[in-house]
Amino acid sequence: MSPQTFDAVVVGAGPAGSAAALEIARAGRSVALIERGPFPGAKNMFGGVVYGRILDTLVPGWWEQAPVQRWVTRRATMVMTPTQALTIDYRTDSWSRPPYNGATVYRADFDPWLAGLAQDAGAELICSTTVTGLIREASGRVRGVRTDRPDGEITAQVVLACDGVNSFLAKEAGLYPHADPGHFTLGVKEVLALPREEIDTRFGLSGLEGADFEIMGCTGDIPGGGFLYTNLDTLSVGVVLRLTGLTKSGRRPEEVIAGMKSHPVIAPLVAGAELKEYSGHLIPEGGYDAMPQLSGDGILVAGDAAALTLAAGIWLEGVNFAIGSGAAAGATAADALAKGDTGPAALSAYRRRLEGNFVLADHRKLRRAPDFILSERVQHRYPAMVCGLVEDLYTVTNPQPKPGGLRAARRQMRKAGVTLWDLARDGWTAWRTFG
Amino acid sequence: MPTVAAAVKWVDRRPEVDPLTGAVTTDARTSGMSEADRAAVEWALRLGERWSWETLVVTAGPPIAESVLRDSLAAGVDRAVRVDCRADLPSPRVAAALAPALSAVDVVVCGDWSLDRGSGSVPAFLAADLGAAQALGVVAIEPAGPAIVDAERRLDGGRRERLRVTAPAVISVEGASARLRRASLSGVRAAQRAPLTTMAGPENGDHGGGALRRGPLRPRPKVLPPPDPSLPPRDRILALTGSLVERTPPQRWALEPSQAAERIIDQLRAWGVGAQ
Amino acid sequence: MSALSQVGFEDRMATVEFRVAPDAHIVVDGDQCRGCTTRECVTACPAHLFVPTADGGILFNYEECFECGTCYMVCNRAGAISWRYPEGGCGVVFRRG
Ligand SMILES: Cc1cc2nc3c(=O)[nH]c(=O)nc-3n(C[C@H](O)[C@H](O)[C@H](O)COP(=O)(O)OP(=O)(O)OC[C@H]3O[C@@H](n4cnc5c(N)ncnc54)[C@H](O)[C@@H]3O)c2cc1C
Ligand code: SF4
Ligand code: SF4
Repeated sequence: MSPQTFDAVVVGAGPAGSAAALEIARAGRSVALIERGPFPGAKNMFGGVVYGRILDTLVPGWWEQAPVQRWVTRRATMVMTPTQALTIDYRTDSWSRPPYNGATVYRADFDPWLAGLAQDAGAELICSTTVTGLIREASGRVRGVRTDRPDGEITAQVVLACDGVNSFLAKEAGLYPHADPGHFTLGVKEVLALPREEIDTRFGLSGLEGADFEIMGCTGDIPGGGFLYTNLDTLSVGVVLRLTGLTKSGRRPEEVIAGMKSHPVIAPLVAGAELKEYSGHLIPEGGYDAMPQLSGDGILVAGDAAALTLAAGIWLEGVNFAIGSGAAAGATAADALAKGDTGPAALSAYRRRLEGNFVLADHRKLRRAPDFILSERVQHRYPAMVCGLVEDLYTVTNPQPKPGGLRAARRQMRKAGVTLWDLARDGWTAWRTFG
Repeated sequence: MPTVAAAVKWVDRRPEVDPLTGAVTTDARTSGMSEADRAAVEWALRLGERWSWETLVVTAGPPIAESVLRDSLAAGVDRAVRVDCRADLPSPRVAAALAPALSAVDVVVCGDWSLDRGSGSVPAFLAADLGAAQALGVVAIEPAGPAIVDAERRLDGGRRERLRVTAPAVISVEGASARLRRASLSGVRAAQRAPLTTMAGPENGDHGGGALRRGPLRPRPKVLPPPDPSLPPRDRILALTGSLVERTPPQRWALEPSQAAERIIDQLRAWGVGAQ
Repeated sequence: MSALSQVGFEDRMATVEFRVAPDAHIVVDGDQCRGCTTRECVTACPAHLFVPTADGGILFNYEECFECGTCYMVCNRAGAISWRYPEGGCGVVFRRG
C-alpha cells in the first residue's frame, strides 16, 4: 500500500496539536491530526484551569461554546506548614463576565472541543492511532510518520510534534538530547464529587463562579506544590511533585495528596467527598533553559513536547502555552507550505514568532523561577517563617506587651533557620525572577 | 452473492451507576462495541473471506450508534446498515428491529450478550424471527463446508459441545473467541467518509412485547416469618438457619434434551414458579 | 474525616477505565532490578504497578498504567525498563482528566 499523503501531519490532539491543525486547515492545507487515545483528551489530565486570553484571536467568542465547568472568580495562594496556613485570597467580579480570565474544565471535554474546531476547519482527525516513529530521508530530513496501524505510513511536507511531555518525536529527531529527570514533576490528582450547592457554600460561590487555590508547603520534604479547583459538582485536588524529591522521600504520591487533604484548612473543604477519578501525568518544569530545539528539517515541536509549561509557584499554566505555541507552529507551517520550503531555515521562523509573543517572553522572564520555587528555603523554611511571623502578630499576648514586628521576624527567622543573608539573596533572586 | 452479517450494539462500556439512586449515566466517549460484538465482526470477516461472501454490519440504535458501523467498516466490512430506534429497547424488540435488515442474510454473527441489558436473548429472538438455526454462546467457529459451520459451545464442567449449523443461521460468540483485527490507516480514513444505509425502525415510544423498567432492579424481598418466640433459643436458631430440617435431597437425571426441558418445566411448576 | 474519603488503592484505580492492550507496552527486566537497592519506581509510580517480590525482584503488570513516563525517568539503570505507548485506542481512558 502506498502511504497516506497530506501537506502536514500533526501528532497529538492535545491543545497544542489541535491549535496547530486548526491554523493549517484554515490556511487551506490538508492536515492529518493523529491521536493515540480513542478520543482527544482520553490520555490527558491536568490541574484544572484554562486561561482563555490566547483563545480570543483563535476562536472569537470562545466562551459561548467552550465546555466550561466554572469561571474562576476567586483565586487564592496558600502558604502552609503542617499546622498553619496563610492565605492571600483575591476575588473579583470582573472575572465572572466576558471575556473572563480562567475557567475550570475537564480535559475529556475541552480537548475534543478544540479538536472538533480543527475538524470543522477541514483537518482530518484520526484517533486510536499511535505514531511510532519518524520517516526520514538519508539527509535526516523528516518526511512523515509511521503509525501502529497496518499500512500506517503518512508522508507530509512537515511534521508537527505536539505529542506531549514525553516528547519521543523530538528526541528521535535529535532535537531533545538531554531530557533531565530533575526537570520534570509528577502531577497526581483526585476528582472528588460533592453536591453543587455544597461546593457553592463551602467556597462562597454562586452560579458558575469558581475558585482556584494554589498551595505551597503541603508536600512535606518533596519540592512541589498543591492545587484545589472547583468544578460544577466536583473538586480537583492534587499535588505536583519533583521526581527527584519524590523518589528520595519514599512517600507514595497518593499519600502526599492524603496528607494535604487532612490539613486543618483543607479537610473541611473536601470532607465527605466521593472519589470519582484518580490520575497521574508528568509536567515539564525545566523552564526556558531546559527546552529542546523547537524546529528542525521538516519538523516543528510545540506544547509540552517543547517543555513549554510555565510552572513556577503560583503559576501552573500549560494549556495556554500549548495553544499559543501550537498556533504559532501551525501558522509557520502554513507559511512554509505556501512558499514550498519546509526546510530548517524556513521553519526557524517559528522560534522568532514565539519570541515575539508571550510564549517565550514569559518563559525568558521567569527562567530562574523553577529552581527558585523548588529550592529548599522557598519550599520549607519560608512557609514556616512567614506562618510563624503572622501567628506572632495575630496572637494576642496581653497582659504581655505585643512583640515588635522586627523582633518577631528575627525570632521566626532563627526558628526556621533562615539568615539575613539568605533573605537578602533570595529577595534579590525573587526580584530578578518575578519583578 | 451470499452475505454474512455481524449484528452489533452501541453500548457504554463503562456506565456510571449512582450507588444511592441507581441512576445510570452513560457517555458517548466511552461507548462502542463490547468485546463480544467486536469478536462477532471478526468472525463475520473471517467467514466472508473463507467463503468469498459479502460482509455486512447492522446495528439498531440512534444516530450516535453509527460509530460502531464505522469501526466495523474500517476493519474491512463491506456494507453498513443502521436501523433507527432508541438505544434502550427490550430484547424482543431489538431482534424485531434487526430482522428486516437481515432477512436476505445467510449467516448472522452476534455478540453473546450485550453489556447493558445482558440477557443474551437477542440472538435467540433473532433466529426465531428469521426462521434460522441457532448456535449461542460459541467459543469457536470452524467452517465445515460452504454455508456450514461447526460451532463449539462451552458446557458445564469444562465440557464442550459441537454444533453443526447450516445457513440460514444465527451464531452468538463470546468476547474471547476472537480479537477484532486492527484497521488499516486507509481503512479508517475510508470508513470516516463511507455512506451508511439507514432503515426506519419501530416507532418511538412503542415498547411492544416487553415492559421497560425505568430505574434500578430491586428484587422484592422474600418475607420470612420469624420463628415462634416462645421456642427456646436453640430451636429458634435452627428454625432461622434451616439446619437439621428434613428436605428433598438433590436429584440427578440423565435425559434427552427435550425430555430434560419438560422435566425442568414440570419441576418449576411444582415449585409454583411462573404462571399456571 | 469521613470514611468515604479513605479509599483503598484498588478502589482508587477502579475509578479509571483501562482498555487492556494485547501486548505489554512496558517491559521490566527483572535481572536488572535484582541488584537495584533504590527502587525509585516502587515509590514514584502513581499507579503502584511495581511491587517488590520476596526474592529481591520486581513484579510488574502493565494493565492499569497511566502511561505517564515517571518510571523510565526515575529508574537509574539503563535498560531496566523498556517503555513505549500502548497500541492506539488501548490503555488508560480518563473520563474527566
Ligand atoms: C497535574 C497537572 C496540572 C496541570 N495544571 C494546569 C492548569 O491548571 N492549567 C494549565 O493551563 N495547564 C496545566 N497543566 C499543564 C497542561 O496540562 C499541559 O501543559 C498541556 O496539556 C500541554 O498540551 P499539549 O497539547 O502540549 O500536550 P498534551 O495535552 O499532553 O497532548 C499530547 C497529545 O498527544 C497524544 N500523543 C502523544 N504521543 C502520541 C503518539 N506517539 N501518537 C499519537 N498521539 C500521541 C496524547 O495522547 C495527547 O492527546 C497541568 C499539567 C499537569 C500534569
Ligand atoms: S525498574 Fe529501575 S528503579 Fe525499579 S527496581 Fe528495577 S532497576 Fe530499580
Ligand atoms: S508509566 Fe506511569 S503509571 Fe505506568 S508504570 Fe510507569 S510510572 Fe507507573
